[in-house]
Order: sequence, then structure tokens, then C-alpha cells
Amino acid sequence: MTDLQITRRHFGMLAAGAAAAATLPFAARAAGETAIAATFPGNWEDGYRTVLTPLVKEAGYDLTIAPALAQDQLAKIMASPGNPPYDTLLMSPGQMAVAIDNDLIEKIDPSKLKNWDKLDASFQGEYGPTVTIEVNGIAYNPDLVPRPKGYRDLFENPAYKGLVSWTGFDSNTAVMAYTEIAKIYGSGPEDMDAVFKLFKDHPEQLRGVVDSTNHQMTLFQQGEIAVFMCSTGNVARLKSLGLKAEYVAPETGSPAAPVNIHLTKGAKNVDAAYAYMDAAISKAAQDKLKMPPTEMFPTNKDVELTPGIEAYVTRDQLSSMVYPDWAMINKHRSDWIRQFDELVAG
Amino acid sequence: MKASGFPYVIPMLVLSVAFFATPLAVLIGYSFFGSQGASLENYGRFFGDAFNFHVLINTARLGLETVIGTTILGVPIALFYWHGGRNARQVIIFLTLIPMLTSNVVRTFAWIVILGRQGPISEALMALGLTGSPISLMFTELGLVMAMCQIDLPLIILPLIAILSRTSVQFTEAAQVSGAGPWRILLTVLLPMILPGLLAGWILVFASTSSSFVTQAVIGGARNVYVPQLIYREVGTLFDWPMASAIAVVLLLSTGLLLVAMAMISRHRRLIGHA
Repeated sequence: MTDLQITRRHFGMLAAGAAAAATLPFAARAAGETAIAATFPGNWEDGYRTVLTPLVKEAGYDLTIAPALAQDQLAKIMASPGNPPYDTLLMSPGQMAVAIDNDLIEKIDPSKLKNWDKLDASFQGEYGPTVTIEVNGIAYNPDLVPRPKGYRDLFENPAYKGLVSWTGFDSNTAVMAYTEIAKIYGSGPEDMDAVFKLFKDHPEQLRGVVDSTNHQMTLFQQGEIAVFMCSTGNVARLKSLGLKAEYVAPETGSPAAPVNIHLTKGAKNVDAAYAYMDAAISKAAQDKLKMPPTEMFPTNKDVELTPGIEAYVTRDQLSSMVYPDWAMINKHRSDWIRQFDELVAG
Repeated sequence: MKASGFPYVIPMLVLSVAFFATPLAVLIGYSFFGSQGASLENYGRFFGDAFNFHVLINTARLGLETVIGTTILGVPIALFYWHGGRNARQVIIFLTLIPMLTSNVVRTFAWIVILGRQGPISEALMALGLTGSPISLMFTELGLVMAMCQIDLPLIILPLIAILSRTSVQFTEAAQVSGAGPWRILLTVLLPMILPGLLAGWILVFASTSSSFVTQAVIGGARNVYVPQLIYREVGTLFDWPMASAIAVVLLLSTGLLLVAMAMISRHRRLIGHA
């Protein structure tokens, strides 16, 4: 084998190239007109990159979509106080409460958003606009199991034995389902002991506990599981992949979570961030994002709902959705996580 | 007397201090941040919960099981390389290196297919009549160890190959001529020779397995909790960074202790022989 030969000149050029490459991200940010927007991975990332980038460009700015789950967005913002890696965050009320408590986001100036008046008052948050409502429920594979009526079915009907997957309390989707189950089997949404007892009485349900909804989507594709707690977006994504997946609104009501864009405290590209927010709530964007595979519920009043979305939820039903008490959830979350871990690990 | 080589190691020292020692010191320092200032509060909370011991033991056990599995699989492959011709050696090197060129994440997701209800393992067991219905090895420790063994196998094969490449086959031939049987040759001739390579492989495999967050999470599911998942949760869900740092320090120390123990065992005079 021949030895690797490298001259000093080549080494110098390599080093210079590496140094130049290392400065690229900073160079990109130095332009100052690019909004760095944190977005959920998967459907959101694809949809926002495709639909919003041209709209933000029309407004004279660039947009970089950075995929990260809401919890990870918070962790990264906390890791670099004063120098946030994102100009905007995308999150539900659970994480928003944490972000406000830790002074990570700031109130917005609605006068900078041309489409602000197109939103219902309930979507005009002082910390940022609501871009969609994530409606949660139960996803199931109609080839493998019958249509469940609600959460109770999953524990009491033997047809689902060993085919239901759950996640821990790290997941917002799971927490919303568990608070609903606590209402059914316990004294209210805080009575998580009733939920833990339910799992103890049905140990087969613990077999398919995984870490996240993303893992469940993979397992659903492989036919490893037939039922999981989901958002309508999860089901839309599975259907877009050609999979047999259906959504069920639980008979006790669908837990729902508004998804908001927030302005990060210390954001470096504030004008670009506002342009991105405005694009996200515009009719032009929401008309596209309401279509499969994203099927996001439009918060802009001028946008008509598609039959597909109306099958999940109509505008009139929004008020009857179940909106969890995130302050209560955040207060108990670490204890619930630990108790569930011990239960699952046996 | 030879000139000192110290100036030549300065760049490496600077890099090590800047990018390894300093972050490690920050991590250790952070682990002492308690609600009332500097204290051992986080360590107290960690060791005060029996569940955490269970998780630590789980993590160490997973590492050791993978070390055993990769050793059983890796040593014969390395010996085959040693005795093989040029073509056989090239094939073995190629097959060892190719998986390393794919991401751990990709290999992990491939294992979901292999271990699943409709995967080849389940199909084979059904074809052989060993099971009447499809079985899934997902979310089991056995499935996770199988995946980890495949993912980490190159880490033990490569050090062994490096050692054996510098070793003459005549050693074993001499032992054979002297009347030693295959087991005696393996234990008294080969094992002492390949022990440094084995030790390097064990260290790499154990460290890689015990910190393999993605594979543990995806294949092991939530029923098999390991220390990296605890750390991730403290950082990403509960935002308790001092606690996460304390758990990371505990993982570092416990892993380090096990590796030192492995090194001491491998240096035992009975193992390495003495003239």
C-alpha cells in the first residue's frame, strides 16, 4: 500500500479550506435578513420549507427552517442564553408556559403583521399567532383492528390486546391522552394514579411502550403496532405514504393544542421573523398547508376548510375540543414521568 | 540522548484541553449546582432513588452482553482473516468497513425490519415450525443486544485484525507440533497474543453500547430504560441540566470503573503468561 503523501502547500490549502468551511454558518447569518425558524420535523418541516420560503422571499427576506421538537427547541434556547439559535419557536401551550417562565420569548407587536386581523381573537396570542390547532385522538390500522370508540375500548376490548402502543409522559400527545383517561377511570385529569393502576391491571399494554410518536409512526408502518395516540397530522402523513391509517375522535372528546409561533427573546432577525409569522398566517400559505399531506387546520378566517379536515373537526367544534390545563400538567410532569418509567420497567 | 518531542505534542494538548478537558470540567462543575448553591444535592437525588440503580445496572449489563456477543462473533472472523488468503482478507475488511460507512440511525432502523413480526427472524422461526404465530423481538433486551452486536462488531474486529496482522501463523503451528490441542492453542497461545486487541475492542464496544441513545430508544423501547435516556429526559423534557450533568458524571465514572476492571483482568499474569 502506498503511503499518503501531502506537501506543506497542500496541507495549508486544506487547513484554509476547512477554516473557511467552518465559518460558513456565521457568514450565512451575517447577512442579517434570514429568519431562522424552528419547526417540528417531518410534515411541518417539509410543508413550511416548501410553502413559506417563497412567501417570505416575496417580502424581501430569506427563511431557514430548522427542524426540532418543541422540547428540543427549549433545551437549545436555554443552552445559549443571549445568543438564541432560533429567531422564532413553534410550540404548544405546554412549552409556551415554560418559555414564558424562563423569559425565553417576548410579546409580539401585532401591527407588524398584515394578516393579524384575519385571525379569530382566540388565535391572537400576545406571545404570537396560532398557526393551526393540533387535534388529537386515536390512530388505528383498519386492516388489523376494529374502529375503537375511545380510550376505554383500548383497555377493555380484547381485539386490541398487544396491538396498542403508548409513549411516556415526555410526549404532549401522550400526556393529553392520559389526562383524558384519568377523567374516565379516576376523579379528574390530575388523578394519574388511576391511569397507573389501569396499566398495572393490563400489563399487555406496557409491552408496546416506546419513546416517541415518531417511533410509533415507524412501527405502524412496519405493522408492529395497530393503534397509537396521534394528532390528525400524524394520520394525514401516514395516509400520504399510502398506508392504511384512520383517525378516531374519542367519544369523550378530542384533546387539542393550539400551535403558536413565538418570537425568541434576543432574536437577531426580528423583521424577517415577523415576515415569516405573517406568511404563516396568510391565506396563500394556509390554503396550501390545509391540503394533504400536511392537512393543517387553518386559523385564517378567509380559508375554507377541506372535506378532509372537516371530517376531523369543523370551526364550530373548536370550542368543544378538550384543552388541557398545561400549568397543572407541567407541575406534575416530572413525577409522572418517573412513576411511569418505574411502572413500565417493572 | 534524544531531543525532547514535547513541542510536537503541544497542538494536541491544546486541542485536548480546549475541546475535551474544559467541557468535561464544565460538566462536572455543573453537576454540583443545587437549589441552594454548590452541593451534592443532585448526586443525593440520583442515588436516593432505587430506580436509578436499576437503570445503571441495566446499562452496564447491556454493555457487557454486547461485549460478550461481539467477542463470540468477532474472534472467529478475525482468525479467519488471519488464516485467509489475500482475497478472503479483502472481502472481510470490505464487509467490516462497509457497515461503518452507514449511519447508526440507518442501521438501527434496518433492525426494526429484521426484528419485527414480519421480519426474517420471525419468518424463519415459523418456517422451521418453532413458533406457530409471528413473534417480534422489538422492545426486548435480546433484540437490542442482537442489533448492538451487529452495529458494534467492527469495533472489535478491527483491533483484532491489527494485532493478528503483525503476528506469525507459525506460533500456532509450533504449538501444534508440540502436541497442543486446539483449545490449548487458543487459551495459551492465541489468547495472550490477541488480548491487547480484545481489550481495545471491549473498551470501544462497551463505551459505544452504553451510550448508544438512538438504538437503545428505538429497539429497546421504553420498557428497557438506560442511562442515556435518563440524561436526555433531564435535558430535553425536565430542563434540569445540573441533574443531567450529575447523571452523565455517574455514567462516566461507572463506565470508567468497569473499563479499568476489564484492563486489570486482562493484565492478569495467568492470562498474559510469563517467561
